[in-house]
Amino acid sequence: MAKEMIAMLLAGGQGSRLYALTQKLAKPAVPFGGKYRIIDFPLSNCVNSGIDTVGILTQYQPLVLNEYIGNGQPWDLDRLHGGVFVLPPYQKASGSDWYKGTANAIYQNLSFIERYDPQYVIILSGDQICKQDYSDFLRFHKEKNAEFSVAVMEVPWEEAPRFGLMVADENDRITEFQEKPKNPKSNLASMGIYIFNWDILKRYLTEDEADPDSENDFGNNIIPNLLRDQRRMYAYRFSGYWKDVGTISSLWEANMEVLDPEHSGINLFDDNWKIYSRNSGMTGHKISRGAVVENSMITDGCRIKGSVKHSILFAGVQVEKGAVLEDAVVMGGTVIKSGAVVKHCIIAENVTIGEGAVVGAMPQGEANGVATVGAGVVIGRNAKIGPNAMINENVEDGEEK
Amino acid sequence: MTKSNTSALGIIFPNSYDALVPELVNVRLMASIPFASRYRLVDFILSSMSNCGIANISVMANNNYQSLMDHLGSGREWDLVRKSGGLHIFPPFADKSSKPYTGRIGALASILDFLRVQKEKYVILADSNIVVNFDYSAMIDAHIASGADVTIAYNEQELPASVQAYKGNDRGIYYTFGIENGRITKIFVNPREPGVQNFSMNFYLIEREMLIDMVSAASVHGLHYFERDVLLPQLNRLNVQGFKYDGYIARISSLQSYFEENMKLLDDYNLDALFSRAPIYTKIRDDNPTVYASGAKVQNVMAADGCIIEGEVENSILFRGVKVGKGAKIKNCILMQDTVVEPGAEIEYLITDKNVTITAGKTMSGTDTFPVYIAKHQVV
Repeated sequence: MAKEMIAMLLAGGQGSRLYALTQKLAKPAVPFGGKYRIIDFPLSNCVNSGIDTVGILTQYQPLVLNEYIGNGQPWDLDRLHGGVFVLPPYQKASGSDWYKGTANAIYQNLSFIERYDPQYVIILSGDQICKQDYSDFLRFHKEKNAEFSVAVMEVPWEEAPRFGLMVADENDRITEFQEKPKNPKSNLASMGIYIFNWDILKRYLTEDEADPDSENDFGNNIIPNLLRDQRRMYAYRFSGYWKDVGTISSLWEANMEVLDPEHSGINLFDDNWKIYSRNSGMTGHKISRGAVVENSMITDGCRIKGSVKHSILFAGVQVEKGAVLEDAVVMGGTVIKSGAVVKHCIIAENVTIGEGAVVGAMPQGEANGVATVGAGVVIGRNAKIGPNAMINENVEDGEEK
Repeated sequence: MTKSNTSALGIIFPNSYDALVPELVNVRLMASIPFASRYRLVDFILSSMSNCGIANISVMANNNYQSLMDHLGSGREWDLVRKSGGLHIFPPFADKSSKPYTGRIGALASILDFLRVQKEKYVILADSNIVVNFDYSAMIDAHIASGADVTIAYNEQELPASVQAYKGNDRGIYYTFGIENGRITKIFVNPREPGVQNFSMNFYLIEREMLIDMVSAASVHGLHYFERDVLLPQLNRLNVQGFKYDGYIARISSLQSYFEENMKLLDDYNLDALFSRAPIYTKIRDDNPTVYASGAKVQNVMAADGCIIEGEVENSILFRGVKVGKGAKIKNCILMQDTVVEPGAEIEYLITDKNVTITAGKTMSGTDTFPVYIAKHQVV
């Protein structure tokens, strides 16, 4: 049965800049916002936009991601026709390859897309926090009679050189693409979200694959080729909250912005655009007598006996008596022992912070960055983890890092 | 892997003892009463069964069952979407002569054809006014080891005053046992003895074929009550064994006990005793995490996801999506799903049902022995 549009979600990134957080899981599986993982955002956007078939392209540490996605039921993607599929590289009669680039990842799965024979394919990225209605994007694509459209954000001119920029005319038709230029001609940054007409996508991916010099990348190869051939390419302006969470500081920042929806624009309380996730199945959380909880988000299974300010706690976090948290992102199952002081940091899943340990420090100007502790790490009693530290192995009692 | 010889199917009676909590069952039934911030009473029995590999469960919905149907859905949350077995909901079969089920016998008689074609060797019958994290596998093992015809779970406790206060059968019959060497030799119907009793939990384990025979015979004779009319007269002939349960148990026997049993879970010791053995599943609502605003003061509180807390909350249980406005003060309350307490309101010893709104600046309070109940959708 033909589909109007299916989604291909690029989730193969290693997320090397998140180092301690992505040792054992792919970037899209990194927990976010108290009870979500990053990939919940594009998946929920798909379902809320009426897209019921999603291929997830993955090749780095897929175990957690595979288990998390399962049959897709939490996102309503367990469908009779379509649904969600995890697509790792696979062995073919003519040999096998890792995904060489974003374009190659889709190229290797052309036969998947063919099964649904869609009119349009939307290419999504698995490392962005964004609530976006893809059906509105598709409406724009159809109105413009486009062959290719890219979602763009207006960014401040001084920041424009950090982005891939789309130069567009007054009808939003793209005339030029500049990748991180010194002298930007546009401030429309590509969000890495594309809608292709299926025949165009197929033709250009096949052509690109035949080019031995190509990096098989959408930004570096496919888009320049489309421009070369003067295809009907349009820029769709998106103006909501959008954040690439590829670095520790941007991930921390995005989490903190969840606490301040009025100013940041990321609102998880939107009943009309719910973000779905796989549930922890834990009991309601408990705030004990003597605890302090302010300006924070707490979810199921947490037990709070200490002080928690301006922090986000994921499922099953325990904060013992006398522990102090501030500006902290603490992922599921982590235990903060009594007297520990945990500030301005990201603590991954199932970490133990020992009695009296100190992790991170509040920023002083530019000086103190975000401290990070990787999953499963045990930080000993009275150990000290400085700001900017990236801890991936156990730290002995009293040790300083 | 099939274990059809030793496996059991479950039958749940969701309306059991409805009459003990008339306020709470006005718009629902016992099984769908919200409990412990994010659950319904039936979640505990369903999850316990599911965790023990019981994957063929029938719910004998008698009346007021819309909320239960909505809660159960396809049974997916309890892993009960199965090709073989799964979740069945049996409301009374509606025809000209039909009435609500009368007692366990009436309900079971209506599904005899269904029971005959099932494959499980045993049947477990269970009421839903009891909150336990129960090991049915251990009960089945004990049943097989003892060679019993029927095994009934019980615990040792005093009878709740609310249960003793009623005469007759109109609020549901309750039972205690005289037990000798594990065998139930006496069944007391609506007893009034003070002190600790062997109090029936109304979980019954019996071979499916035997149950079919008993129910067929009893329904022909117009009998209603399985315990009083079938087991009691045959205690000499049948080997009826008691299965003693020592774990955490909450019995909902009145609005007061509902209040107290919720509040008990504010003690971590009790919470762990109830939840740590095996997971309890419930319907998912996909709420965001709960937000505590700056200026929120929270002491000794259990809360589910989706709440926004801007005021002060003490000694209370908050269900999903509760909103507490700035300057509001909440003490010793149970606030069910989507209750809104507007800024400046002060409430104490209140049980608010779903979607209640306490308007700004209002003050209301019950007492520890008489919590005030506010019905669903009310605006105070």
